[in-house]
Amino acid sequence: MINIIKSDLYRILKGKAIYIVLAVITILSVVSVVGMSPGHIGLSIGSNVDMSDLEMMEEISSAKTLGEYREIMKNNGSFALDKDIVGTNVNLYYFFIVIAVIVVATDFSNKSIKNTISSAISRKEYYFSKLLLILGLGTFLILFNNYGTYILNLIINGKAFSTPLLEFTKLTIIQLPLLYGIISLLVCLAFVLRKTSLFNSISIPFIMVVQLIATGIINLFKLNADWFNNYEIQLALTKLVNNPTNKYIVSCALLGIAYIVIFNTIGYYAFKKAEIK
Amino acid sequence: MKEIILKTNNLTKKYKDFIALDKINIEINKGDIYGLIGRNGAGKTTLMKIITTLANKTSGEFTLLNHNDNDLTETKRRIGSLIENPAFFPNLSAYDNLKYYAIQKGITNYKQIDESLKLVGLDDVIKKKFKNFSLGMKQRLGIAFAILDNPDFIILDEPINGLDPIGISDLRDTFKRLNKERNITILISSHILSELYLLATRFCIIEKGKVVKELSKEELDIECSKCIVIKTDDVKKVSIVLEKDLKTTNYKVVDKEEVRLYDYLENIETVNKTLVKSDINIKQIRETGISLEDYFKSVIKEAK
Repeated sequence: MINIIKSDLYRILKGKAIYIVLAVITILSVVSVVGMSPGHIGLSIGSNVDMSDLEMMEEISSAKTLGEYREIMKNNGSFALDKDIVGTNVNLYYFFIVIAVIVVATDFSNKSIKNTISSAISRKEYYFSKLLLILGLGTFLILFNNYGTYILNLIINGKAFSTPLLEFTKLTIIQLPLLYGIISLLVCLAFVLRKTSLFNSISIPFIMVVQLIATGIINLFKLNADWFNNYEIQLALTKLVNNPTNKYIVSCALLGIAYIVIFNTIGYYAFKKAEIK
Repeated sequence: MKEIILKTNNLTKKYKDFIALDKINIEINKGDIYGLIGRNGAGKTTLMKIITTLANKTSGEFTLLNHNDNDLTETKRRIGSLIENPAFFPNLSAYDNLKYYAIQKGITNYKQIDESLKLVGLDDVIKKKFKNFSLGMKQRLGIAFAILDNPDFIILDEPINGLDPIGISDLRDTFKRLNKERNITILISSHILSELYLLATRFCIIEKGKVVKELSKEELDIECSKCIVIKTDDVKKVSIVLEKDLKTTNYKVVDKEEVRLYDYLENIETVNKTLVKSDINIKQIRETGISLEDYFKSVIKEAK
């Protein structure tokens, strides 16, 4: 198992993808920190600007340069920008896709998996070493993103816009089970679909499609949206950094663990029975 | 007693209603170069895929290097394989691709990579990326991968596809050398019968998932060679007459009733007269011999 992880790391570090991912994360982080506004996808909305404060909204829209905008934000009072940025960690989903592609899907698409399975290790070892590696690389990306942002924010915006390190570390940790759940979903898709193009075409829009279908069903049947608002992955990651209750932290952790178990069970058994082409 | 490398027992593979392998029973001994011959879709690759655990069997069993098929994790480290097309990471060089698998297999002496590449004649392009390789070079890299870890048994599926005649000849020599010098047993499939004939020591003809003929090279020679078949009840006397009167040793005693003579092909009457003159009871004398392709066709036809 160690050997397969070592060999994959050797291959990944020889390629460009991982460096591009790190560069893009850094750029996004810099943009969020300098722009004093975390980037969002899908359902989330910013929490650092009070939309009902019309005077401030007017002030912001009149800002002509980034410098002016930053000045307005700074004068508006302190807020934990790093916490807000970590609240948008669902963005990491797209980088996890890249990791899943370079670790698993590429091996299937190139058919190089045949070489490994036919003469080196069992399917069980293969699956779990790939899972461990993706979780490991995923954790590295989370830490790189979070602490990179933390340090950048501290340097550029100062303490007034930062969270104490210990609290920030706690926020990072409580998000992990859900993020590992997302990673497990991608590992499952990679082992079930076994083709890079198919994997990409399904995994890239996956979260947005799920959000779209869920909100559609809720609106259509006038369902109670509490559960969705609390546990939809993107909303949950945002809520976890905004003073969550212990009960909520535990329930999100359990949900993450359930995702890990369910997706990996499906992924492993689909792979075990599959013919390697 | 010969050491058995691979033994299959009623090995069967079904895809829904299609039977890809139908109760296959073969035995490969240590030192064999075992040639698998069959048409497209005959079941050659499926058999190799099951042995290398790329596909799951439906029923039956096999033992590989004395290990049952449900416990092959350690055994697989002793085999090398090239199944279907050679597949590697396109953006890595030949050396880096092999190093990737060397790390995976726990090989610490990276000189083995250079040796393997040299053996297949890729030592001058080790830094060239796989995506820039020609088909022949890709095949060679696949073979270099198969022999990377000094395996006891290598499984090669159509390894000479896409190679030029010199490349084919070089690889044939490489396989023979590996077999002779390192005592590596080889299971090889090919459509090119003449090439397989020059390499293999045993042959298995497979058709529609069934083994229709298993024979040694000597037996295949006997089946295919152009010769005079002499059926008699005294092969010993025939041998003496052939050597003394016809001055030839180019013959083979097939069994207690048959002798095959590879000389005097244009003078079958002379042979007949000489044998009769020596008071030998000749039951039948005829000329025979077919090409490998014709022999293959006839076996397939018989199987139908």
